[in-house]
Amino acid sequence: MKLQSYRLIRFLNNFFIYFVLTLFAFIMLFPFMYMLSTSFKIPADTFRYPPRMLPRDPVTIEVDGFEKPLPLYYVEINGEQKEFALAQSNIKIGIYAPADNLSATVERRLTEVKPTGGVTNQQTVVVNDKEEKLFDVEVDGQIIPMILISQTTVGEFINPENPNEKVSQNVRLSTPVESISWHPENYKQIIELNNMARALTNTALVTILVVIGQLVTSVFGGYAFARLKFPGRDTLFVFYLGTIMIPFVMLIVPLYQLMVVIGWTDRLAALIIPWIFTAYGTFLMRQHFITFPKEIEEAALLDGASRFQILKNIIIPASVPALATQATFTFLYAWNSFIWPLVIINVGNEKNHVLTLALNVLRGRASDTPNLILAGAAIAIIPPLIVFILGQRFFVESVASSGVKG
Amino acid sequence: MYSHSSQQTNLTLRIHFIWRIIFTLLMVVGVYLLWISDTERESWQKIIITVICSLAAILSIYGATQINKRNHSGRMIALLLDYLGFATALVIALNTGEIFIGIDALGQTFPQGIPYLGIVIAGYFLGSLDEYLPTKKATSENSLKTVGRWIMLLGGILFLWQIEAVNGAVYFVSKLIQPLGIASVIAIIIFGISLWSMSRPHIAQALGVKTGHEQIINGWLFLSPNLLGFLIFFAGPLVLSLYFSFTDSDAFNTPNWVGFDNYARILNVRFALLETPTQLAREVVDIKIYDEVDRFVIGNTGILFAAADKFFWLALRNTLTFVLFAVPLSVIPALILSNVLNSKLPGMKFFRAVYFMPSIAAVVGIALVWQWLYNATIGYINYFVTLGIEFWNNLFNLAIVDPKIQWVSDERTALLAVVIIAAWQTMGFNTVLFLAGLQNIPGELYEAATVDGAGAWDKFWGITLPMLAPTTFYVVSTTTIQAMQVFEQVFILMNPPEGPNNSTITLVLYLYRSGFQNFQQGYASAIAWVLFIVIFGLTLIQFQRQRRSSIYES
Repeated sequence: MKLQSYRLIRFLNNFFIYFVLTLFAFIMLFPFMYMLSTSFKIPADTFRYPPRMLPRDPVTIEVDGFEKPLPLYYVEINGEQKEFALAQSNIKIGIYAPADNLSATVERRLTEVKPTGGVTNQQTVVVNDKEEKLFDVEVDGQIIPMILISQTTVGEFINPENPNEKVSQNVRLSTPVESISWHPENYKQIIELNNMARALTNTALVTILVVIGQLVTSVFGGYAFARLKFPGRDTLFVFYLGTIMIPFVMLIVPLYQLMVVIGWTDRLAALIIPWIFTAYGTFLMRQHFITFPKEIEEAALLDGASRFQILKNIIIPASVPALATQATFTFLYAWNSFIWPLVIINVGNEKNHVLTLALNVLRGRASDTPNLILAGAAIAIIPPLIVFILGQRFFVESVASSGVKG
Repeated sequence: MYSHSSQQTNLTLRIHFIWRIIFTLLMVVGVYLLWISDTERESWQKIIITVICSLAAILSIYGATQINKRNHSGRMIALLLDYLGFATALVIALNTGEIFIGIDALGQTFPQGIPYLGIVIAGYFLGSLDEYLPTKKATSENSLKTVGRWIMLLGGILFLWQIEAVNGAVYFVSKLIQPLGIASVIAIIIFGISLWSMSRPHIAQALGVKTGHEQIINGWLFLSPNLLGFLIFFAGPLVLSLYFSFTDSDAFNTPNWVGFDNYARILNVRFALLETPTQLAREVVDIKIYDEVDRFVIGNTGILFAAADKFFWLALRNTLTFVLFAVPLSVIPALILSNVLNSKLPGMKFFRAVYFMPSIAAVVGIALVWQWLYNATIGYINYFVTLGIEFWNNLFNLAIVDPKIQWVSDERTALLAVVIIAAWQTMGFNTVLFLAGLQNIPGELYEAATVDGAGAWDKFWGITLPMLAPTTFYVVSTTTIQAMQVFEQVFILMNPPEGPNNSTITLVLYLYRSGFQNFQQGYASAIAWVLFIVIFGLTLIQFQRQRRSSIYES
């Protein structure tokens, strides 16, 4: 008895844990799912309410006697739902009734009805103190003069298998038949429309150069801090540490003026060169190198190896995980950066835009096509996600350890 | 072994002595020419150059005397100055050849080269494959490595060809052939020769090199690329930023020193007592100087808060409000989630990875996605709100009206919309940090508590939270520092970025607007320093609290 209830509580407990975790996972993933599915939609589909996740298209069908494919709708005939094709829309229908019996209404197309007594001399009748025009309406072979009570617009639906079977219905009240369909051509369109290809190339180029450059300077600097004794080293290291906390926006104005002096405003160089030298990367590398056993190095020194050879042949091959982690960090930072490119690259100079800038421009330019905007966002978001999934193990562990040490 | 005669060594050292004197003269002449003939440069730039050149000149003279005395410090100084000269000349040569600017052109041709870059990577993998080969024959190992190397070389050449590196090189040389370019190439050669000569062993011995000296030289050499870049692109600008904050710099004209004017304008505020809550501002403050920022109503009266620069105070209010909501919203759920994740059930790594995903995506892209989620008529968030209200109405037979919130265009919800995005994006990151902290708590503590009969709740309050205090401090302070700099979400989500009725203007946004739309860069620098002081103060408060609580714990 007791064991059973213990098991039940365990089960409920675990069920609750997974429920909470899944709920949060849904919250975390939902915007990504929305982005991806919307990026494959057609514009009309994105403005639907209530919103639907999967991209859908209205279904069309070829019907004999019609040049273009006709859109399919669900039509209710005698309480039965059928798929009919819309052959003609915007048919104007008048609702007519005899002047003496307004409740006996009939529906006729406006074109089928002629004014009583001809167009120039139309007869009228007074109904409820108002003068109303009379029309000749044919009912069961008889022509009866009637007045127009109201107008409406309907569509003519036909049975695609039997084009003679026709039904007239209000188009707005019938729901279109839809099928799930994906539109990857949105991506092609956004790349062509918005200079996105160049922005993607620039972002990749900037990111690659920043990652390589930062790794090189951080490895050398970190090694010097960790292993080489020179006067001023510890003071300098404290100085480096102190600057890690300083937010980048502190530098944005003077760095901009420096770029003006050097002549790098509006240039990709301004997005690369200042980012190659970081105190934080040097700090991380130093923390890693300091854990490396000293004995191996001393042995190599006795064998006559230079410091550079030791670094290249012994330490770097043994530090691949740490280097990969830092490369991932730098990759994300360089790929996602926005405020500095916004300041330094002119809006008009599209050939030097990076993805985040291109998105900023796109936001204003394509505000009526969310599918294209979100395709653009996906282009910016997916490459870092791929890098993350590839380097997930290193990356998450190292973020975790940075917190513990800090 | 070939040995150098002392005569030869002495001659070399004499040349080095003369070279140091010439170097000094060059520096002096350079500074003289700078002040006489260069009229384009601004005075602050001239001052920086003069200071650097004068220091180099004095050092060089001192180094010359030390070389004469056969002191090793002379060699150190010579190496330092020649290295700096070499690096400067190299950068000038590269800049004259438009290498840095040429990166733009690379953006055009780079895509053509990417497939060939793939060949290089393939070659690398092929070369590294032999480590995994089951049979390790010496010959096959070497051949595979060689083949890999050749493929890499081939791919590299094709890559360079495809990105039109040849044209680039020709262009570089053509640009270099002009007085400055040729002078810098000559300088590279002279400094290079001097460096090479100084680093030769017999010269080092003649100047009395000791063990440990090489480590000093190597240390500075290894650190130098990082340190120079750090000084030029970080420490230097930081000092400049402080200088600009005392000027009226506008990025185009010569900045004038204005003392504390920028800070005074920021801090120029007035409080005034209102007779009625709706009394107009112009009745209590001088509206030629002050604008109303906010009013605090207390019963029948109130206090009016007015400032000379109302946007700064609105920005500060919004930023602090943002921090006040975004930090708890991204820290508390993270704390709970990490405790749930810490259970040793299968699949936890998967959830951890999923939670981490938002924090690596570009904020710009994320904000665009949320912009459509927040859409008042077709957005999912209002759709979920509607569904929820319908559910409650049906369940309890209520008649709650669907608010149809205009998330981004209503001044009451605009900042909340930004808070939600920020919390959503940083929560996963914080969860991972907390999880690491949790996994460092020794399990014996919990076992001991279980023996003492403590429940899960007691353990959480008694063990988990106190033991997590350092992690919590780290998480809260980094999240706060980040939240204080909120910009991108606001800039993308809101149109215009300052939001309806300035409800989402933040400090960094205002800094950007002052510095790069109104080009009041001196004022923007002052804002930056105030922002830094606020951030620093907040961190200090948290640090104090953390230290006090940790004293109690121990």
